[in-house]
Amino acid sequence: MAPSRRTRRVVASQPGFLNLKPSSGAAGLAGVRRKRVNKNKKKNWNKHSDINDVTEFLEDVRHQERTIGGLLSEKSDDNLFFLDVGQPKKAEQKVAEPVDGKKRKGKAVRPLRIDLILQHDSLVPPPKDVLAYQQPNAKKLRRIAQKAEQLAAKGVVPRRQKQLLNRRPADRTAKKAVTEANNNPDREYYDIWGQESKDTADPWYLQQTGKKRVKRPEKLNEKPSVLPAVEVIAPGGSYNPDFFSHQALLQEAHEVEVKKQKEEDKIERQLAVNKEHLATEETILREQVEGLVEEENEEEAPNEEEEGVAVGAITVAEKKTERQRKKERAYKVKEQLRQANRYQNDKRQQLFQLRSIKTSIKQEEQETKDKQKQRKANQEAQKAQPRRLGKLKFKAQDMEVQLSDELAGSLRQLKPEGSVLKDRFKSLQKRNLIEPRERAKFKRRLKLKYVEKRAFREIT
Amino acid sequence: MGGLQKKKYERGSATNYITRNKARKKLQLSLPDFRRLCILKGIYPHEPKHKKKVNKGSTAPRTFYLLKDIRFLLHEPIVGKFREYKVFVRKLKKAYGKTEWSSVERLKENKPTYKLDHIIKERYPSFIDALRDIDDALCMCFLFSTFARTGKCHVQTIQLCRRLTVEWMNYVIASRALKKVFISIKGIYYQAEVMGQLITWLVPYQFSHDHPTDVDYRVMATFTEFYTTLLGFINFRLYHSLNLLYPPKLDVKAESELKEENDDDDYAMNSESYLEKLSALSASLARVVSTAEEEEAELDQFPVEGEDVANMEAREKEQKQEEAQKKLFEGLKFFLNREVPRESLAFLIRCFGGEVSWDKSVCIGSTYEVTDETITHQIVDRPNIGKQYINRYYIQPQWVYDCVNAKIILPVEDYFLGVTLPPHLSPFVEEKDGDYVPPEKLKIMALQRGEKPAHEQEDEEEEEDEEDEEEEEDDHEEEGDDDEEAEEKNLKKMEEQRSQGKSLPVKVTAGKVKVENPARLEQEEKAEEKRLAIMMMKKKEKYLYDKIMFGKKRKVREANKLAAKRKAHDDAEKSKKKARK
Repeated sequence: MAPSRRTRRVVASQPGFLNLKPSSGAAGLAGVRRKRVNKNKKKNWNKHSDINDVTEFLEDVRHQERTIGGLLSEKSDDNLFFLDVGQPKKAEQKVAEPVDGKKRKGKAVRPLRIDLILQHDSLVPPPKDVLAYQQPNAKKLRRIAQKAEQLAAKGVVPRRQKQLLNRRPADRTAKKAVTEANNNPDREYYDIWGQESKDTADPWYLQQTGKKRVKRPEKLNEKPSVLPAVEVIAPGGSYNPDFFSHQALLQEAHEVEVKKQKEEDKIERQLAVNKEHLATEETILREQVEGLVEEENEEEAPNEEEEGVAVGAITVAEKKTERQRKKERAYKVKEQLRQANRYQNDKRQQLFQLRSIKTSIKQEEQETKDKQKQRKANQEAQKAQPRRLGKLKFKAQDMEVQLSDELAGSLRQLKPEGSVLKDRFKSLQKRNLIEPRERAKFKRRLKLKYVEKRAFREIT
Repeated sequence: MGGLQKKKYERGSATNYITRNKARKKLQLSLPDFRRLCILKGIYPHEPKHKKKVNKGSTAPRTFYLLKDIRFLLHEPIVGKFREYKVFVRKLKKAYGKTEWSSVERLKENKPTYKLDHIIKERYPSFIDALRDIDDALCMCFLFSTFARTGKCHVQTIQLCRRLTVEWMNYVIASRALKKVFISIKGIYYQAEVMGQLITWLVPYQFSHDHPTDVDYRVMATFTEFYTTLLGFINFRLYHSLNLLYPPKLDVKAESELKEENDDDDYAMNSESYLEKLSALSASLARVVSTAEEEEAELDQFPVEGEDVANMEAREKEQKQEEAQKKLFEGLKFFLNREVPRESLAFLIRCFGGEVSWDKSVCIGSTYEVTDETITHQIVDRPNIGKQYINRYYIQPQWVYDCVNAKIILPVEDYFLGVTLPPHLSPFVEEKDGDYVPPEKLKIMALQRGEKPAHEQEDEEEEEDEEDEEEEEDDHEEEGDDDEEAEEKNLKKMEEQRSQGKSLPVKVTAGKVKVENPARLEQEEKAEEKRLAIMMMKKKEKYLYDKIMFGKKRKVREANKLAAKRKAHDDAEKSKKKARK
């Protein structure tokens, strides 16, 4: 503030300054007598010094700046005056024009009064927002930039940039999840069997820290079935088969079908209603009169049974006499002796039966051997069979067969039979690699409710 | 006497097994995750011997696992990854629900993944182990590579499967390992011999899928996930065993040729078109050390003694035959019409050293045009063709397959356009002697032995002749048996006569010089020996012997019956034909 005020004061004191309000003259100053005040206190300086002239002058300066855009004294004459040559001729034309455009344009052109009031009418431009132009550390930054420019001219790359350049280019285009996925079509393979593991560390340490993989038990490498992975279709399954092999395949398929049919028939037969169980008129009648007709026979029967039970009472055993006991004892001893003798005799006889005993032993051994063999054969046969691994039993897929009239004459007309996908799936099941399963059924948790839409109802 | 009472189901088999649900809980995994883990680790359910004991007295059907297996699973690092994945899914769901897209993005970027490499190494400690188990992997990959990219499984999986199968086929071509092929109504079976292992796989026909509903796709996808990893590593190893570059690169020469041709073609992407070019199978692969001609590996000669010589000779002969088979189509130039299955045929022809091309609009990678004068065979599968070149055979595709199975170049006459084809026989059937052999196979066998039919006309006759021959042979056998019986009778008579010798009237006549036929004598001697041996048999052995002989005879009888039937059938056909004429 201070410097501007000073300049203005300087300007005002100059002889060429024009005042807009001429009344603020020296007359006022001369009329009032000066009051004496202590001026040794700063408070009094402001209180008692007369600054009206200065404020008035400054007001005047500001007024001029607002209304004219500068001091009057500094304006050139051309800016202040103009030559009045009366009404310009254009005005007449302007009057003529509105005839057609007044109704439409007149109102649109004139601004509202509010807007006029609110309009910024000062000619002093609004002050600049200094902070908007200021920059913290501008000097420092400028210096740094200059230095960088110099270095760049010399060809020296700053450390940071060097680091950035040295960093390995990250593959932003390919995502990590995609490249590492097992089914990435461009994935890399390497010689997995060639390289030996380089475990130089102590095996005990590795084991204890969980860095060593647990060894796979040998037994897990055994296959659960002896069947081959790919079972080639019978020769009758050729696209252009030999007549007899085709017939053989058809026969086989036919047998399968017959078996199925038989099973179905069996179930149907079992489920069929037995005619004897059907109600006849007689049985219906009997059912209806059940309990109404008294039957005497039934009442009599139970009585007899009761009597029978009563007759069968405990019979008291009679006491044996001494003689009888003696006799029994003697008989017992005799019997024992006889048995012992017989045993001895038999043993002695066996000496002469050695040959037949030998043969019988041989026979027995042979039998056990045969049984063992049979059992082993059965077990081998079982190995080729699918095991029962879950709720469901393995069900072989339908045989792929083309009837004689379905066979194609050439490779071009061949119509493939069956699905390889299903074949593979069934093969996995057959080899006990997966358990046979049914697809989980979709269960609706909430019941569906059918409601007619209103629009639809209106039509019907 | 006392002691604690033994509790039931606390020892024995009950403690060796664990039900699936318990195992799942022990591993803290959901059922699908558990299933996946078991498939990846190769742990399968087990059927206990005594279900009731294991099931604590209940007879309800359950899925059991061996407890030790499940304990082993506890150490698997992938289990942790599964749990992480579960958490990831939960977080992702939450982020979706809150529509926080930035966090969705971030989560997706950090999706937990796992590797199966260590499992492969663990399950297949050596390369040969892996090679033995490759059948399944190949079938699965070939199957998945034919799937439409419709969202039944991940598109990436399909692409990976395609890549691996193409690599495999290229390897088989480079090593000339293919042995057999069989076109069935299901798909095409191939068999190759890689490093002494017979490997069979099934390739479905293109576009033949109706997706069956009763197949668990999740299980199949898990198997495929494992098998793709396995097949990749095997491919790598196989390529390196042949000094081929992996991932496969086309030969420089072939590549430049292809480039010249396809300059004007605008295929979508370079990487894609490269796989396509590889899958065209028409060009050979680049080698690490480019060798002009591979040296013929000769069998080492070892000094051998006595009976081994014959073996060695047989082996050498076999070796030679195999070598010849590998070069079956060498020098032949094929052109495939657009209606034949291109990939299968190109694979076959290249496997046996032939050159192959097709129309440019059918597939990328064609090497020459139809108009090429040097083409020897054009494979066509339509009743007739408009413009024909005089210096090439027009044949049906079955010829190629039959040639591969017969291991020789078959006469083309039976396979001309519009001709009713001979049946396509399965090469996977091996007849034992005495079994019924279809006449077509006999014919091929005769051709293999080097007997050549003079003309087409005589062909049929010869066929019949052969049949007759066969019958005759069978008759011979029967006759042999009859002879034996007759001899026995004679001998018996003689013996009787001898025993009654005293009463015989004795006469002396002038002796005749007996003409001794040494061969005949030998035969008789042998027959006599055999007869005596039979006589000396114990009762039990005799019984067994009779049984065996009966079985043999029955077989022969049945074969004869079938042959007769066939003859009748053929005759009927012939007469029909004649009647038509």
